Amino acid sequence: MTLLEVQDLNVHFPTGEGTVHASRNISFRLQPGEVLGLVGETGSGKSVIGQAIIRLLPSSAQVSGHIYFSGQDLTGLSESSIHALRGCSISLIPQNPSGALNPVMMNGQQIAEIFETQGTQRKTAVETSWELLAAVGLVPAERIAREYPHQLSGGMRQRLTTSIAIARGSTKLIIADEPTKGLDYHARETTARLLREISTEKHAALLLITHDLYLAEHICDRIAVLYAGEIVEIGYAEQIFSKPIHPYTQALMKAIPKNGLVPLAGQSPSLMALPEGCAFMDRCERQTEKCHQEHPLMTQENIDGGVRCHHPYCA
Amino acid sequence: MPSPVLCVTGLSKSYGHGNIFSGISFVVEKGATLGLFGLSGSGKSTLGRCIVRLEQPTAGVVTMLGYDLFSLGSKKLRELRPSFQMIFQHPEISLNPSMTLAESVAEPLMVHKELKQDEALNYIRSLISKVGLRDEHLARYPHQLSGGEVQRAVLARIFSLKPKLVVADEPTSMLDVSVQAQVLRLMQDLQKETGVSYVFISHDPDVMSVMCDHVLWIDDGTGVLFDRSEFVDRVRTQSR
Amino acid sequence: MSEEVTTNPGARKIIAAQSTDHSTKRWIRKIRKRLGFQVCLVLLGILVIAALFALLIAPYDPNAIDLKQKNEDPSSAHIWGTDYLGRDLFSRTLFGAQTSLLIAFVTVACAFAAGTAVGCVAAYYGGVVDEVLSRCVDLFLAFPGIIFSLALLGLIGAGILNMILALTVSQWATFARFMRGNALSIKNLEYIQSARTAGLPDRRIMMRHLMPNAIMPVLILATLDIGSVILATAGLSFLGLGIPPGIPEWGSMIGAGKEFLRTAPLNVIVPGLAITVVVLLFNFLGEGLRDILDVHDEQVIPG
Repeated sequence: MTLLEVQDLNVHFPTGEGTVHASRNISFRLQPGEVLGLVGETGSGKSVIGQAIIRLLPSSAQVSGHIYFSGQDLTGLSESSIHALRGCSISLIPQNPSGALNPVMMNGQQIAEIFETQGTQRKTAVETSWELLAAVGLVPAERIAREYPHQLSGGMRQRLTTSIAIARGSTKLIIADEPTKGLDYHARETTARLLREISTEKHAALLLITHDLYLAEHICDRIAVLYAGEIVEIGYAEQIFSKPIHPYTQALMKAIPKNGLVPLAGQSPSLMALPEGCAFMDRCERQTEKCHQEHPLMTQENIDGGVRCHHPYCA
Repeated sequence: MPSPVLCVTGLSKSYGHGNIFSGISFVVEKGATLGLFGLSGSGKSTLGRCIVRLEQPTAGVVTMLGYDLFSLGSKKLRELRPSFQMIFQHPEISLNPSMTLAESVAEPLMVHKELKQDEALNYIRSLISKVGLRDEHLARYPHQLSGGEVQRAVLARIFSLKPKLVVADEPTSMLDVSVQAQVLRLMQDLQKETGVSYVFISHDPDVMSVMCDHVLWIDDGTGVLFDRSEFVDRVRTQSR
Repeated sequence: MSEEVTTNPGARKIIAAQSTDHSTKRWIRKIRKRLGFQVCLVLLGILVIAALFALLIAPYDPNAIDLKQKNEDPSSAHIWGTDYLGRDLFSRTLFGAQTSLLIAFVTVACAFAAGTAVGCVAAYYGGVVDEVLSRCVDLFLAFPGIIFSLALLGLIGAGILNMILALTVSQWATFARFMRGNALSIKNLEYIQSARTAGLPDRRIMMRHLMPNAIMPVLILATLDIGSVILATAGLSFLGLGIPPGIPEWGSMIGAGKEFLRTAPLNVIVPGLAITVVVLLFNFLGEGLRDILDVHDEQVIPG
């Protein structure tokens, strides 16, 4: 059975200066054990989707659509029910590990307290925390458990927040929000490997939210490319990277240093003033009159693969 | 044979409990780009700041345009300052938050050439349009603009002084992929036009191999020099 | 509001980009949301105008003694009654406001100017300069304010100018230390370093780059300090120091009126309430400003 199904998710933020349409018409499916990447640049609305699923959006957010987790509609659940799911079946690896860790609590304790609040004996909780630290490669675990977050490097803190997220063991869905932000290429590689291992070993699905294309290429099974709040292309990772069919995806791939560092002129549109037609048309070399007038829809109904464009490149 | 723009010999920096780097030596010719590559904490940013005299090394000599940088008197230093500049990693704090872009971009020129703001902006009109900034950008404050726009304003500000050397400390690591391409291409265009030399600091091997002719790899406090192809090979073998 | 979209940095940047006049419009909107702050501003406005135009508004000469009308209850002739010498309490309170506000504003302005200058210079130059200046600041901070003012006034004698001097001397060090801390926290930021690499002169860097960006919290401190200075002034003049007898001042009114506390309490209650209300208003102003500025986060998180 499909683990996560998002149907027509829309997230708006009304503000004093207009409404910010952060996410529009978001639909995708995630199978158990699968790794799906939500890839996009600043202003694409990708972070909002992850927060909407786990219901950590600010109270001013207006959310519509459905989010089915193991068949259950999350959008209708009470706060306490969602709270029970969080950390148990659905975990979040937050964007800023330094901000997510308590600076005056020892590393091991940050993991152990999860078990202690459930009633586990202190000794057992501590030993489990050592195991989890070792599992994410933070060794020697006993020494690191007694240290504090500020004594760890950026990459190590990332691993610590990852181990906190998977501590419960019952996690079926891990949402990783920009896990390689600010990490150098070496820490990025080890983080990528760690995420892939965890997903495989725990048989947990991973929803990876990132703008790091290297990471997306190396660990995702499928990728959804976001632009101006919408999914513009979704498909298998190999296809997205080797033969992208949406003009934006193509331009994005060409901008990678390895692929020629071809700049993409212009900027993504303001989420408050979206055009009627296609959001990408101003920067697209294939734009026509139709693109100005008609907002393109996703081509395929089965939402496992598709493209949102009037004139996609041929596959 | 024209003398190199920058010559660093035996540069070391330590912070009491240990060396950050020691014995670093390299040369940067006119119009060339040297990369400083290393992992987080390798000291490459500190090295960059020493080169532009924002930090004091513990030992070694930095020869900038033929002058010993750390024995210059304040008067001569102020004269020479415009020739070597630095661009930083975090766009959101690279410009004074209480000044508009117009004020920030015009300021160095206003001070050095004793011009008024309008005169200074006029003087660099073509540079401003080259970096892709329009009047509506210039009227705004830094926090109202994207990272890419800020870095472009920083480039306009720096190049208004016609520098001979620019140290770029991870200028695009906080930017999106497509914006990174814009900014890096712009830096390359400016180099072709003005003949400026770059010391390019980064931890991203792909960016390094595109931007730099030579790379100084800083590991464990020491630097090893590679040319472009050697560097690419070395990165590949390291990833195993 | 933009501050509520902190979890979507991309959106926040875009919202900010829409407003062309970023500071004034945003501040007006923030103030409009806070009714309490608006009320406070209005009341303070009334107070300041009343104090400024005391000469025009006051129905009587505050020093006009009329022993036939002493300790009268409030009436249509004297809306707040009279004191133990028959002087109109309303007029005396108005002129007292003038005195208190004058001393408070000038003192805080001077202490603020001196303190921020010293703090900024100490932070910017560091090293020996910082050491010397910080030790000076420490020296002044070591003396309890009131005792210092008392001693100084004892030395130089009474008078409004001397009062201002004494209070400034006891206050400036707090501003210096606070400003130094703020300036240090931004000194190593990239835009300050850019100003140095651009070869801008030190004075320009301090005045245009360091100070404007470090000064906001110190301004809030200044607002809160106004209340403290009003209280200090009242305290000193209650003790009979500082203010010459001919000038009405709330503290000295309480001092002189305290023996009538049971028989004609208005002598004490009116100036006492005046002090309380005014100090509270300035404290609310300071807290309100801090609240507005806290939420007003200029640092955009890279998204």
